[in-house]
Amino acid sequence: MKHHSKLGQKQEHIGEHKAQTEGMREFEGPEEALRFDAEQTVVPQEIERRLAESVKQIRATERRVWWRALFERK
Amino acid sequence: MTEPVATSDGTPLEGRQSGSAAGALAQGGLRQLYEEHSRAIYYLALRYLGDPQKAEDATHDVFLKAFSRLDQFRGEANLRTWLYRIAINHCRNLGQSWHSRNVHANSDDAIWENAPARTDSPLRVLETKELGQRIQKTLDALTEEYRLLLLLVADEELSYEEIGTLVGQSVDAVRGKLHRARKAFAAHFEKNP
Repeated sequence: MKHHSKLGQKQEHIGEHKAQTEGMREFEGPEEALRFDAEQTVVPQEIERRLAESVKQIRATERRVWWRALFERK
Repeated sequence: MTEPVATSDGTPLEGRQSGSAAGALAQGGLRQLYEEHSRAIYYLALRYLGDPQKAEDATHDVFLKAFSRLDQFRGEANLRTWLYRIAINHCRNLGQSWHSRNVHANSDDAIWENAPARTDSPLRVLETKELGQRIQKTLDALTEEYRLLLLLVADEELSYEEIGTLVGQSVDAVRGKLHRARKAFAAHFEKNP
């Protein structure tokens, strides 16, 4: 199980590209190729999870600062 | 005890700024901001840095910085442009220490000046499966300036004026350099099937 979850994480990193259909493709220029590439790119869900965690920490820090300020006033 | 919040490179976020981040999150604006722009920022970081793990870290850091500085956003630029500015600065800082050691971009533009103008004909890819790798190799072979210009111009939300502002160039200079960047990209792309 542990092996599977680790493999899944690795696939998320390495395989940032969705499975694409094989076959001939033509692009009118670099921008079109890059746009297509961007559309195929999957943003790792890990980023959102880490961000949520970071914001949670910010909130916790704020609460701490608020309490500290209250005690310092006294 | 909770550790101070810091970006992936260990830079702590200022306490004063963090207030706005939490406030904005409470209003639900941050999720929307992330959902609308995360793909563009991640893609820029991915192809600029050429490393999925670094791109992940950079995207996290860029949005964390953006969340904490939301009160500094004056609305003079659109949000996408503002996020790109943070992302470019962040990636450049990372790139200065990493990219220069690992990637040897071909700065000799003269080679591509004399190359046939292949942008006139479509870029052909036999198997789109390997397109990402091929694009990455091609971008890695370009100068940082060309790479960035192409990545920005590929985003249809950005105008030439906005791209010019982001890279610190006039619109005419952007157009001129883009022309050369396209030629360089096409030449490298064809060269590395």
